[in-house]
Amino acid sequence: MLRTFSFLFVLTLALVGRSDAARAADAPSAADIVAAADRVRNPDTPFRLSLTLVEYQRGRPHESVGLAVHSKLDPTTFQYRNLVRYSAPARDAGKLVLLSGGSMWFYDPASKASIRISAQQRLIGQASNGDVLTVNLAHDYKPRLVGGESIQDADRQPRDTWHLDLKAATPEAAYSRLETWIEKGTMRPVKSKFYSDSGRALKIAYYRRYEPALGAVRPLETIIIDAVDPHLLTKVSASDYRPENLPDAWFQREFLPRFSEQ
Amino acid sequence: MRVGAGAIAVLLALAPALAKAGDDSDLIPRGVLDAKPEAELATAAPAGPRSSPALYGKVFAEEALSVWSPARRMPVPEPPSLLLRWQNRASLDAGMHWKLEPWLTLTLSDRLNVFEQDGQKLVTANTVRNDLREASASWQPTDNYYLEAGRINVRNGAALGFNPTDFFKTRSLVGQASLDPSVIRQNRLGTLMLRAQALWAWGSTSIAYAPKLANPSQVSEKNPVGVDPRFDATNAAHRVLCTLSLELLDLSPQLLGYFELHRSKLGVNVTRPIGNAVVVYAEWAAGPEQNLIARAADFGTRTGTLPPSASRLPETDLRVSLRSDLTSGLSWTLATAVTLNVEYHFHEAGFTRNDWKNWFALGSASGAPGAPASPAGALWFVRGYASDQQEPLSKHQVFIRASWPRALGPDLELDAFAFVSLLDGSVLSQLAANYYVSGAWTASAYFSWNFGNAHTERGSFAQRGNTTVALTRYF
Repeated sequence: MLRTFSFLFVLTLALVGRSDAARAADAPSAADIVAAADRVRNPDTPFRLSLTLVEYQRGRPHESVGLAVHSKLDPTTFQYRNLVRYSAPARDAGKLVLLSGGSMWFYDPASKASIRISAQQRLIGQASNGDVLTVNLAHDYKPRLVGGESIQDADRQPRDTWHLDLKAATPEAAYSRLETWIEKGTMRPVKSKFYSDSGRALKIAYYRRYEPALGAVRPLETIIIDAVDPHLLTKVSASDYRPENLPDAWFQREFLPRFSEQ
Repeated sequence: MRVGAGAIAVLLALAPALAKAGDDSDLIPRGVLDAKPEAELATAAPAGPRSSPALYGKVFAEEALSVWSPARRMPVPEPPSLLLRWQNRASLDAGMHWKLEPWLTLTLSDRLNVFEQDGQKLVTANTVRNDLREASASWQPTDNYYLEAGRINVRNGAALGFNPTDFFKTRSLVGQASLDPSVIRQNRLGTLMLRAQALWAWGSTSIAYAPKLANPSQVSEKNPVGVDPRFDATNAAHRVLCTLSLELLDLSPQLLGYFELHRSKLGVNVTRPIGNAVVVYAEWAAGPEQNLIARAADFGTRTGTLPPSASRLPETDLRVSLRSDLTSGLSWTLATAVTLNVEYHFHEAGFTRNDWKNWFALGSASGAPGAPASPAGALWFVRGYASDQQEPLSKHQVFIRASWPRALGPDLELDAFAFVSLLDGSVLSQLAANYYVSGAWTASAYFSWNFGNAHTERGSFAQRGNTTVALTRYF
């Protein structure tokens, strides 16, 4: 048995080494990899999807949040503008978060109040997990290719990936730094790690359950580990992807009370 | 297959350089990977869209018990009618939208309360009170154009503690468990109006007309109005509000013109992020008006609360002049956990140090031998009027609020705020704890306290503290 493992170990090392050596010369640029991964995660036409976020504490489901995300790429800034509406739990039903470049607003239909929030404030609570899927890494971050790396995906399967280190390039970037691992060939995101300004790891995200949605194969499930309290996990399940006509006028503060009527 | 996967896992463990990032996946329990979303929803708290596309909203029941600290003997005694030892409120609250057609939406927002309190019989005319907050129809003739009519809650402003540009806030207060301004806004009366709004990608514009339907009702601290919709509070004058909101220079400016006989104002509010953790904001409004004391005297005599002569109030300048209101502040999110708001409030029509000196001198003199009958009721009326108008009492104050949504665990939210008078240093403070028992149940506790000596704005209340516990069930 030991010999078998040793053989596999040597073989794997050899394959990885040869593979990296062979590909080093024609490795795509960091920007190309990130842009390709963005295309895997995000449709380039306006769309909506439903998200169910289930929070796990020590492996037990604890709380769930329902969100509807309405998203549209801004052709001038290449950033996604998102309208996120809570459908559950009942105490939060109808609340809205508008994420439009640097303009981020929280709207509570009970108070009719639209409160502008900072990039950091949007990260508090479950809503911050709702827009993980539509972060435009290519625009908001400056990527650096660390190199090729074999990692485990969420299902403990080995994946041959590009490892990239990204630094925030715009004030709107929610995280000052993140690392991401993109599968070679398919350019599917496997894993990302998000850091605070102080360099502390905040979240680790694994992308899985790749299935066809809106013309491409996309990750329908993201598992987000709280890096501060690793017993805390959030599973984000996406469904009901569909194209949607989203007028530009919707992505502003004054539309939020109207959106609650839609 | 299983052996192969195990071998790879061992390989990864043996070769940390090869698989240095893979260890994180071991933090994911197998059960999390295998669980189907439907099974998760059944196990976790109630979740998922439950409303039909045509009719949706929020319905909840709330039970709240409030207890006040014992009343003290004060230099300017509060009218006994304002002092309660305890009060119990049971409420059924509903906010619903009904989309009849793609171009027509009906909105209803209402709260039915049953009150019990000391000094009141179990069943009286005031036991049941209904707050009809909103009842309106919204018509969308074409994309991004809206016409609506009915009782509508129009709210403007960027700040939390005081909104000079929130012109329809006056006389809209109803009974609350919390003193937190951000909570108070969740339960206020709308105004009967006609409103038109147009939206474009660069901004929006709107105009609202609220007609006068009745003469103004008296200021009533205890809201003894039963099921009355209180149009005599929200629609006691003809009012027009024009707004222009722009998506400009990352400031999101909003320009407002408010027109009411003897009290027209212009206003502007702006917000801007600074870095990724701070948002700064400011609101300003100004217009010709009397100061707070003069307006209170005028309102009190017009509604029959005060005698025709206002001589029992602190002497003041009765002239109409241009007066400004200003709020400037910032929100700062610390360590992706706590959000701190700090605001400065300037209310030019509010009390000066001299006004406070006169207020206490007039109220205290009544205890002296040969002094005229106590004017305490009239003096406290000014304060009740300011509260009814939702405007600060003093000219300068600071508001500080801290919000910690996931405090000591994911189910506990802590919020605290303080209004600090810059004239005398007295403070109104509150600590609120909300525990999310489940997706359907929330338990809340509010502790408020007035700090300051007996001759200060907050210290002059006979009752220093209040504790309220509430249980909310969402449906």
